[in-house]
Amino acid sequence: MSQTKFIVRKVAVLGAGVMGAQIAAHLVNAKVPTVLFDLPAKDGNKNGIALKAIDGLKKLKPSPLSNKDAVNYIQPANYEEHLHLLKDCDLVIEAIAERMDWKTDLYAKVAPHLGERTIFATNTSGLSINQLAAGVPAELAPRFCGVHFFNPPRYMHLVEIIPCTGSDAGMLDNLERFLVTTLGKGVIRAKDTPNFVANRIGVFSMLATIANAEKFGIRFDVVDDLTGPRLGRPKSATFRTADVVGLDTFAHVVKTMDDTLPNDPWHAYFKSPQWLQQLIADGSLGAKTKRGIYKKEGKQMFVFDAAKGEYVGAGEKGDDAVKAILKIENPAEKFKQLRASSHPQAQFLWACFRDVFHYISYHLGDIANCARDVDFAIRWGFGWSVGPFETWQAAGWQQVAGWIDEDIKAGKTLAAAALPAWALETDRAGVHFADGSFDATAGKLVGRSTLDVYQRQLAPAKVLGETAGLLGETVFENEGVRAFTTGDDVLVVSFKSKAHAIGPDVIDGVNTAIDIAEARFKGLVIWQTEEPFSVGADLQSMLPAFMMGDWDAIDTMVHRFQTTSMRLRYSHIPTVAATQGYVFGGGCEFAMHCDKVVAALESYVGLVEVGVGLLPGGGGCKEFALRAAQNAQGDVLAALKDYFMAIATAKVATSGHEAQEIGFFRNSDSVVFNAYELLYVAKQQALALYESGYRPPLKVAGFAVAGRAGAASIKGQLVNMLEGHFISQHDFTIAALIADVMTGGDVEQGTLVNEQWILDLERKAFMTLLKSSKTQDRIANMLTTGKPLRN
Amino acid sequence: MVKQVQEAYIVAVTRTPVGKAPRGMMRNVRPDDMLAHVISGALAQVPTLDPNLISDCVVGCAFPEAEQGLNMARIGVLLAGLPNTVSGITINRYCSSGINAVQMAADRIRLGEADVVIAAGSESMSMVPMMGNKVSLNPAIFAKDENYAIAYGMGLTAEKVAQQWGVSREDQDAFAVESHRRAIAAIDGGKFKSEITPLEVTYRTPNLETGEVISTTRVLDTDEGPRRETTLEGLAKLKTVFDAKGSVTAGNSSQMSDGAGAVILVSEKILKQFNLTPLARYVTFAVKGVPPEIMGIGPKEAIPEACRNAGITQDQLKWIELNEAFAAQGLAVARDLELDLNLVNPHGGAIALGHPLGATGAIRTATLVHGMRNAGMQGYGMVTMCIGTGMGAAGIIEVL
Repeated sequence: MSQTKFIVRKVAVLGAGVMGAQIAAHLVNAKVPTVLFDLPAKDGNKNGIALKAIDGLKKLKPSPLSNKDAVNYIQPANYEEHLHLLKDCDLVIEAIAERMDWKTDLYAKVAPHLGERTIFATNTSGLSINQLAAGVPAELAPRFCGVHFFNPPRYMHLVEIIPCTGSDAGMLDNLERFLVTTLGKGVIRAKDTPNFVANRIGVFSMLATIANAEKFGIRFDVVDDLTGPRLGRPKSATFRTADVVGLDTFAHVVKTMDDTLPNDPWHAYFKSPQWLQQLIADGSLGAKTKRGIYKKEGKQMFVFDAAKGEYVGAGEKGDDAVKAILKIENPAEKFKQLRASSHPQAQFLWACFRDVFHYISYHLGDIANCARDVDFAIRWGFGWSVGPFETWQAAGWQQVAGWIDEDIKAGKTLAAAALPAWALETDRAGVHFADGSFDATAGKLVGRSTLDVYQRQLAPAKVLGETAGLLGETVFENEGVRAFTTGDDVLVVSFKSKAHAIGPDVIDGVNTAIDIAEARFKGLVIWQTEEPFSVGADLQSMLPAFMMGDWDAIDTMVHRFQTTSMRLRYSHIPTVAATQGYVFGGGCEFAMHCDKVVAALESYVGLVEVGVGLLPGGGGCKEFALRAAQNAQGDVLAALKDYFMAIATAKVATSGHEAQEIGFFRNSDSVVFNAYELLYVAKQQALALYESGYRPPLKVAGFAVAGRAGAASIKGQLVNMLEGHFISQHDFTIAALIADVMTGGDVEQGTLVNEQWILDLERKAFMTLLKSSKTQDRIANMLTTGKPLRN
Repeated sequence: MVKQVQEAYIVAVTRTPVGKAPRGMMRNVRPDDMLAHVISGALAQVPTLDPNLISDCVVGCAFPEAEQGLNMARIGVLLAGLPNTVSGITINRYCSSGINAVQMAADRIRLGEADVVIAAGSESMSMVPMMGNKVSLNPAIFAKDENYAIAYGMGLTAEKVAQQWGVSREDQDAFAVESHRRAIAAIDGGKFKSEITPLEVTYRTPNLETGEVISTTRVLDTDEGPRRETTLEGLAKLKTVFDAKGSVTAGNSSQMSDGAGAVILVSEKILKQFNLTPLARYVTFAVKGVPPEIMGIGPKEAIPEACRNAGITQDQLKWIELNEAFAAQGLAVARDLELDLNLVNPHGGAIALGHPLGATGAIRTATLVHGMRNAGMQGYGMVTMCIGTGMGAAGIIEVL
């Protein structure tokens, strides 16, 4: 271990505003005790401001908290009474309002109380880190830097670290380790230029979109239809994003650019348009005032029409011809047609792309260490699926560079500045290559960070142009899975199906992988190359047998599913499920049967079969019945009830921690904050189990069930829900069957059964439901619309 | 008329204040302690009575288990310091348990087999929840469709009554507002003073830093349930709880509560022997079954039956304590029987004052007796309520 091993015992966050409070929430999600400071309240409890912010966290959606207890570990504090608490904090993050003078005053106040090794970081989105550093005492300067989180901090992957000139390199590395592993963030190191990397480009992109929308006369709702998911960007697209951010906040960021970038060739566009100023003056600030660029009256949405200066009915879509161009798979062809089209919407889209490409190539050297950082910043900070440099490179660097150059010369671009020479080099194929990404300052390629923390990322995020070959050496492959090893004696199996649904090929593949792992490996990890872990059983694959009414074939399939779950539990090698994203239905059942789950924090877990009119038939009911018996202190039914409700209401855990609370995952399972570290941790767990002398658990000889009386007691509740119109008759039928299965069938309470007994009940009930027309309607609806049907 | 060898008279009756459950002021007061408290409180009203003459103590409780199990009646008797010769029995007919305790105690005297009997009720819904700690339904309920209603929750039965009797949401909410208004007026007017035996409660919290236990003591003498701020507009905003398309809300239903009440009944012989002033004469009691899915309508059957037993007409009742399990059932019963709502729950009902299940019958007997006497009223009064799984009960006393 290095001498500089950095332990974060406690963190302080200064400023209980939107960002400060949510950063504190994410810290306690990660089990880091956190003190949240704000000014002393004028009346009542002096911690009033911090307390109110902590309380507000419980109501925010999506939740900044990963489990219900976490919030109790945020300690409210105020600058008047609690500065002494700072000495025990190894990291202090300042997140107060964006005012240089306020920040400087606060630094003077807190500096004397900081510990000798405390890292002091400011979460500013735009102020100069070096100017702020001038306000800290000399001995603190090496431990000072910027750390820029994105809102909402639990969910946005990006954090920018912005060193000041005096920042200590070892300190920066320690901070990066903590952010990456403990908080699960994607870190880029940014230069100390206004708005740093992500906001500089992201906000420019919005300004360019606004300018081009005006130029081509495109309504804002049409802009949003065209610049959202159709471009691989969030649903909120451009203007709805501004509403969510807050128009005043957006205007403030633009003002920062206006003030701090007087020499930027695009400076003329760093202004809030007249209509935006008008909306702000009217108090229409966006989502927080329920009225901004959009507003909702009753069920009708309205959008501000800048040309008319009034709201008009919203919902207009982009032109079909333009949308057809956006669907073209080949990026080179897509861009060619966009630029060639005379449709104003196509010209608008090309102009938006072109101006962003123009801007990022012009500024790459000033603002970022390399092009990869720009693409990650926009992907992780603004939710684009592909970064701007990647988009350009995919569309053909030379072709696009030529077009931009032509447009500049023709005076079509927002600024007249020429493309930098490197962008026009005739042999340039792009900015991302196998051995690195382009650094415009040094004129060379920059490889990946060699910081030790990234050795934990066996399959890190990649940019287009980097080697994206298959990981490891293939050991076995069929239509459903690929099983591979990276030479560490652990076999990893990944599903190849869409959304990693589990059909016969996946089941065969998992069984073969278990066979191989038992013969030749120390452990087996189920890991997917990307989320989700699995959406569950592949209903589509059951369709042929279903259409032909071949019930025996389906019964055999379900039986094989159950046997596979049981093999994951009882095979002679440790099995580990590495989950992220959806862990639904059969996917959840597989995970529940592995010896260990290593779950990414953002795992969304549920036995959601009732949505398609079924019950968990791959061992889910059985597993909960068994766990209830094992947890019960005399009263099996009491221990079973919550598990029953989780299945009957298709409850979905919204984090790995919540999955533990509900009981899908065990408290002994692990939650990993950085999904890119999942595979590493899962392998370590498999190896640790093996090295501890792994033996499969002994099959439980007999466990107690709640029996007929237990089922009756559950049905008593169901009758009330049915009669009270909370559930449908078919919901009742399904739930009553689930109750019968989970309570062990028609036996007395306390009867001892084995796992196979419940599995058989589970399978029979599954088949009963499958034969009911209402369940068939639910399945058909799911397959055609992707949404559950309530019938 | 029934045959009896002697009359039974109420010579003492009291209750605790009623606290909200499960997080109210009496959350930590054990039901057997509440019971001992009201027994002592009632005895204090008749200091000359020789406790050795008490033959039995009948205690109503709707979920006699856990803290209120182990035949709480006998434990309460012993905790109250009564002689070992005083027996105790805990009885249960859910919400009528308290009035049934009065009936059973009176009947022992009327039969001539006892001369002094205590009737009481005690229930901590903070400690033992509705339905008890372990619900276990008979699987046979689900073998026949017509038996499903045995499993209906009380709220759902209230919805059924609201539907069948056409009681609107607005009427239910207005009834609830009136209940709170009357209860607050009664509290402000000191109307409950004579019936409540104040209770001293100690709250203990550990100071984790100093290792000390911090004890604070409060004397509780006022019901916790009534809300001054209840308005029609406020109630209208509440969501229905038992039926997504229904009208019954937490605001127009009775509150969950903790509380106890006790009544001392004696024969005429004892009155004379100890020169006691009778507060009231026990008259009669009736109970009738109704379909379980409309259990709330039960009093509609029990009230006329009780009047027939007593040989009186309904309009001779001067004060009716009709337990407000739900506004829906209270209004349905009152409308069908054409009860004068001015005489029903003059000091508010369970929607405001709370409903500690098995204790309610004894508690409202205290309200009835003291309420009529304080108002200078004499004559017939009634305590009536609906009962889970479909029953109604009504007891009549004559305030002297």
